[in-house]
Amino acid sequence: MKHVITLKVNGDIHEVLISPNQTLLEVLRDKLGLMGTKRGCDLGACGACTVLIDGEAYLSCILLAMDATEKEIVTIEGLSESGELHPLQQSFVEIGGLQCGFCTPGIVMTAKAILDEEPSPTEESVKRKMAGNLCRCTGYKKVIEAVMSVPGRKEGQR
Amino acid sequence: MKKEFNVVGHRLPMIDAAPKVTGSAQFTDDLVFPGMLHGKLLRSPFPHAKILNVDVSKALRLPGVKGVVTGAEIPDRQYGIVPKARDEYALAKGKVRYIGDEVAAVCAIDQEIAEEALDLIEVDYEELPAVFDVRESIKEGAPVIHEGVANNTSFAIKKEFGDVEKAFAESALVSEDSFYSQPVNHAPMEPHAAVAQYDPLRGQLVLWSSTQIPFFLRRNLAATLQIPESKVRVIKPKVGGGFGQKIDMFAKDFCAAWFAMKTGRPVKFVYDRDEVFIATRQRHPMYLTVKTGMSKDGKILGQQFLSYADGGAYNSTAPTMMALSCFFLMVPYHVPNLLYEGYHVYTNKPVGGAMRGHGIPQARFAVERQLDLMADRLNLDPAEVRFKNSIKAGEPHPGGFVINTCGFGESVNLAAEAIGWKEKRGKLPFGRGVGMGGASFPSGVTNMSHISSGAVVQVGQDGGVNVLTGAADIGQGAETVIAQIVAEELGVPFEQIRVTAADTGTTPLDPGTFGSGVTVRAGNAARIAAASVRTKIFECIADELEANPEDLVAKDGKIFVTGSPDINVPFSKALKIYQYRDLPMPLVGRASWMADTKEPTTLFNEPGNFSPNYSFMTQAAEVEVDTNTGKVKVLKMVTAHDCGRPINPMLVEGQLEGSIAGGMGQALYEDVIVEKGQVMNPSFLDYGFPTTLEMPEMGLIDIETDDPVGPFGAKEAGEGTQLSPAPAIVNAIYDAIGVNFNELPVTPEKILKALEEKKKQK
Amino acid sequence: MRLPKFDYRRPESIQEASIILLDDPSARVLSGGTDLLVNMKYKVETPSTIVSLKSLSELNYVRQANGVLRIGALTPLKIVYNDTFVAQKLPALAIAAASVGSYHHQIMGTIGGNLCQQTRCKYFNQSKWWRSSRETCFKAGGDMCHVAKKEHVCYSTYCGDVAPALLVLNAEVVLTGKGGSKQVPLESIFSGEGKTPLKLEPGEILTEIFIPEQAADGFSTYKKFANRESIDFPIVGAAFWTSRTSLESRVALTAVDRKPLRARQLEDFMKGKRLGDEVIEAVDGLVAKETRLMMSSTDSISLKRQLMGRLVKAAIREAMGGI
Repeated sequence: MKHVITLKVNGDIHEVLISPNQTLLEVLRDKLGLMGTKRGCDLGACGACTVLIDGEAYLSCILLAMDATEKEIVTIEGLSESGELHPLQQSFVEIGGLQCGFCTPGIVMTAKAILDEEPSPTEESVKRKMAGNLCRCTGYKKVIEAVMSVPGRKEGQR
Repeated sequence: MKKEFNVVGHRLPMIDAAPKVTGSAQFTDDLVFPGMLHGKLLRSPFPHAKILNVDVSKALRLPGVKGVVTGAEIPDRQYGIVPKARDEYALAKGKVRYIGDEVAAVCAIDQEIAEEALDLIEVDYEELPAVFDVRESIKEGAPVIHEGVANNTSFAIKKEFGDVEKAFAESALVSEDSFYSQPVNHAPMEPHAAVAQYDPLRGQLVLWSSTQIPFFLRRNLAATLQIPESKVRVIKPKVGGGFGQKIDMFAKDFCAAWFAMKTGRPVKFVYDRDEVFIATRQRHPMYLTVKTGMSKDGKILGQQFLSYADGGAYNSTAPTMMALSCFFLMVPYHVPNLLYEGYHVYTNKPVGGAMRGHGIPQARFAVERQLDLMADRLNLDPAEVRFKNSIKAGEPHPGGFVINTCGFGESVNLAAEAIGWKEKRGKLPFGRGVGMGGASFPSGVTNMSHISSGAVVQVGQDGGVNVLTGAADIGQGAETVIAQIVAEELGVPFEQIRVTAADTGTTPLDPGTFGSGVTVRAGNAARIAAASVRTKIFECIADELEANPEDLVAKDGKIFVTGSPDINVPFSKALKIYQYRDLPMPLVGRASWMADTKEPTTLFNEPGNFSPNYSFMTQAAEVEVDTNTGKVKVLKMVTAHDCGRPINPMLVEGQLEGSIAGGMGQALYEDVIVEKGQVMNPSFLDYGFPTTLEMPEMGLIDIETDDPVGPFGAKEAGEGTQLSPAPAIVNAIYDAIGVNFNELPVTPEKILKALEEKKKQK
Repeated sequence: MRLPKFDYRRPESIQEASIILLDDPSARVLSGGTDLLVNMKYKVETPSTIVSLKSLSELNYVRQANGVLRIGALTPLKIVYNDTFVAQKLPALAIAAASVGSYHHQIMGTIGGNLCQQTRCKYFNQSKWWRSSRETCFKAGGDMCHVAKKEHVCYSTYCGDVAPALLVLNAEVVLTGKGGSKQVPLESIFSGEGKTPLKLEPGEILTEIFIPEQAADGFSTYKKFANRESIDFPIVGAAFWTSRTSLESRVALTAVDRKPLRARQLEDFMKGKRLGDEVIEAVDGLVAKETRLMMSSTDSISLKRQLMGRLVKAAIREAMGGI
C-alpha cells in the first residue's frame, strides 16, 4: 500500500507518494532528483549515502523514507548557499581531499555533522568518526587534512 | 637546474573539484532520461554448468517487463579488451564458467519489477565438474573450461636473454623461493553502470558508461552488436574510481545497448555491490617461483621465474598482464641473465583483469621479498643490495628498454634516510621493524590498434581555451593535468582552460586509462596541439614584435621575444590581431602522439623498448606487530619517487597516498575468499579494506629527473606506487618479529601461528 | 539492493506495538534498522509488517538514580556512551557501545536493537541470488545447516558487542507485552539456538535495560578483536568486570557461540582469588570449555580460540594495572 508522506529536505517541503519499502536514499534520488547522495553499497557499510537528519549523520540507504518524516533532512545539495561553497567544501577543494568524488558527498556531510557538534575536534576524533566513510582513492590523508583545516577558516566565509 | 613553470608543477585543485564537492558532478547512475527502463542480470549460481534450457515466458508476461534476452539470442561474436584474447559473450552461450556468469537480462519500467522478473526466469543447468586451483587446472584431465584451450592455459609465455644456468653456476648464492599473491578486488566506490539510448530513425546508439576505455568500449560494442563503429557513441560521465576494474566491456554495457535498440527507450543498468565483487574483475592470484643467483657482494647475476596466474573464467587482459608481469622484472634492478616462464590458466572462479599494477604487484612482491631473504642469507644490508643492483639511465638494458631517466638508486638512499633505516633496521625492540621495496612502472602500455592519443586545442576570441581529449579521467585528475600542460604551453592562466573529454563522438581517440599512460600520451598530444596553436599566433604577430616567430615566448599571458619580457603583446591582444587578419576563429591546433615502443607480445621474441619512459621509486615502511593479537599496524610509509616531474604535486601525492592504502590492503587486509568457486565475502563489511583508522603517517620525497620524452619532463605517477608498499610492509614484519612471510595477505592468524612456531623452536 | 514489500505501521505506544505483533506473527519491530533492514535486503528476513518504533521517544533515556542505571531500549548507542555516568562508572558498556560498527551505526543504532540483533553466518548474511547456489539454510527457512552439514540445526554466531558488557555488569532487561512488563536477567533472553536466538513471548518487546548498583563498584572493560578499527563485527569480544570491594570477577564473550555467554567456569575459578598469574594461566583452558565455536564465519576456529583467551587475559592485566 502506498503512502503520501511529507519530507523536509534542504529547507523545502516535499509531498511524495511512496511505498514503505523505499529507503530515504531512493526517494531522494529517484523522487526528488537529488543525485548528490550516492549509493556505494546500499547496505550501510560505506557511508557514501550519508545525509544529515536533525543535524546527525545518517546512512540513508538503511533508513526508511517513512521514518524520515518530521525531520530536518540536509543533503550535499543543501550545503552551499547562493552558489557559494561552504567553507568545508572550499577546504576539500583547496587541499585536494577528493579524487573521483564519489564518496565525497557522504564524507562532507559526515564532516559537517562532526564540526557542527565539535567545532575544533582533535584529529583522533575526526578519524574515528569518519571511519565509516570508505574511500578507495585518497588514502584518507587529505580528507582528514581538509576537515582539520576548517576551524581555521575565516568566520566571514560562513 | 630547476626549471620554473607557471602552471605545471603547481598544486592546483582539480578542475572539477567544485562539482564533485557540491554533489552536482554527474556519474552514470545520476543520468535520468524520460521513459528510461531499468535492467537487471540473471547470473549463474553454479561454477561450471551446461545451460540446457532457459524459459523466459513467465518473465515476459510480468506487467512492466519490456524485454528479456538470453545468450542464445545475441550475435555469436566474442569480445575482449585484447583482441587476440577474445573469449567472452555478454550473456553466456551454451555454458556458464563461474558463479556470477551472466545468463539472461531483463529490462522493466522499474527496478523492483526487473528483480521480480529475474525470479521468474527458469534455467535448467547440468552441472559440470569444476576446478578451482590453478595448479590443478593446468593438469591433464582437468575439466575443460574453454573448448580448444588445452590445459586451460590460454597464454603461455616465455622470455629469455643471456644464460641463467651459467649465471647460477657463477653465483655465490643461488636461492629458490616460492610466493603467493591473493585475489584482490578493486572495490571502486561507484558500482559499474551504463545507460544506453538509441535513435531508431538514424540508427545511432549512445552509451554512457562508467568506463576507463571509451574507445575500446565503442569498438567492442559495435563488433558484438554488429553495427558500424560510426553508429556507436560512447560517453564517459564522471567515474567513481576504476583502478583497472572498468577496463573491459561488461554485460551491463551490451545489454543496455541491446534493450535500447530493441525498445527504442533509454535503458539503465547499475550493478549491486555484490555483483561488483563477484562478476567484474579482480587482481589475478599468482603463484610465483623465483630462482636468483647472486654474487657474494649481492649483485644479481641471473633470475629465473615460473609464474602461474589464476585467470578465473575468462581472459580479460591476460596476455598484456602476463607481459607486464614478465617485463617489469627487468627493472628497477639490473638482471643480466633472465628466463621467464608464465602461464595464464583458467579456473571456474571470478575473472582476473587489470588491477593497479597489472600483474606487476604480484611479481614485485616476490622479487622484493626474495631480495631481502637473500640479503639476509649473505649477511648484507637489503638497502645496500638494492642500491648496488640499481639500473642507471642511459645504460644499455639487457631487455632492450630505453631508460632516459632513472632516479632509482637515489630513491633507495632517500627512502632509507627518511624512514631512519640505519638507526632502526635490526635495532628496534621486538615487534617493531622497518622494511623497503623498490619498483618501476611504464608510462603506458601499447595495446593493439588504439595506441596513439589525439588532442585538439581551440582558442576562442576571448582567450578561452577548449581542449578536446579522449583521455578518461576516473578521478586521478587526468583532465586537470592536461589543462595544466596546455595552460603552460600557451602561457595563459589555468582558469582559462576548459576540457572536453572522453566522448567518442566529439573527442579524438585515446587508448584510455590503463597502464598509467595518460599523462605521457594524452599530455604530450595536448602539449603539441597547444604548441601548434601557439605557433599560429606567433607567426601572426611576429611582425608586431619585429622578431622571428622562433624567437618568441608565451608566458604570464604575454608574448615576447626571449629575454625581453617588458616588450610584449598581451595574449588577448594577439588574438584580436589574429582575428582582424581575417584568420578563422577559433584558433585550432591538433596533434597526436604515439609512443615509440613495441607491442608487448612482439617483445617476447625480440628486445625492444616497452614504454616511452619509466617511473622509479623506493618505499619504506615502519610497522608495529601486536604479538598478542597478531595485528600489524603500519606506523609510517615513505616514498622516494621519480616521476620525472610532477605536473601537479598535490595530485601525485593523492595518487601515492591512495596507492599506499591499496598496498596495505594487499599486504594485510584484503582477500577475495572463495569456497568452491563462490565468493564468501562480497560486501564492504566482509571484504574489509582500510578505513581512516588504519592509515599510517605518509611522506613523499620527490626526485625530479625531467624526462625528455614526457610532457614537461613527466613520467607516470600513481600505478608504480602500488607495487612496493606490500613488500615493504612484509619486509618490515620480518625485521619486527623475525618471521618471513611469502604469501599474501599476512593476517593476524598467520602472524600468531608463526610466533607460536618460533616459540616451539626455541 | 531493494527491500522486499511490506506493510508499515508506526504505533504511538508500546502497547499498540505489542498488539500489532500479537495479531501478526510475522511482523517485526524496527528500531535503528542497521540490522533488520540489511537482512531484509538480503531477503533472509521478510516480515509482512514493519512496526516502526521511531515515534516512541519515551524509550530514549539514560536515567541514573541511587547508583542504579536504567536505559531506554531505543536509546542510540552514541547517547549511551556519551553519558557521563556510563563513561566513568561503566566503562565496559561505554567501550562496547563505541565499538559497534561505525559512527553512523552508533547514531542510528539503539542499545535495544543491538542486543536483539540476529545471529550471523557466512551462508546466511548473503543476497538471495548468492544463496541460490545451495539449498536454503535452516535459519533462512529451509532445512539444512551448511555449517554443521546437518538438518534442522543452526550454528550461526551471535556477534553483538554490547551484550557481553551488559552481562558482566549483571544487567537485567524489561520485557513489555500485552500483559504488562517483567524484568529478567539479560542472559535469560538468549535461547542459545541459532534459528531463533531470542526467547521472547509473542508480542513482547524489550523496552529497558537495568544495570544494578553493584556494577559501578568495580573495574570493567570490553576488548574487541576485529580486522579493522571500525565497521566490523567482532571476530571475538570479551567483557570483564572485577569488584573493587571483593574478590569476584565476571567474564563474558561474544562471537563465540549462538548467544553471548558468561564464562562461568572461569568466574568460579576466579572467585576468592587475587588477580594474578594463577588466574591468568587458567584462562585459556576454562574459557575454551564454555564455547561452541563453529565455522560460521570466514575466520577460523583456531584464531577465535586463541584470541578468546588473549582478550580476557589482556582485560585482566589491565584491571591489575588499574586497581
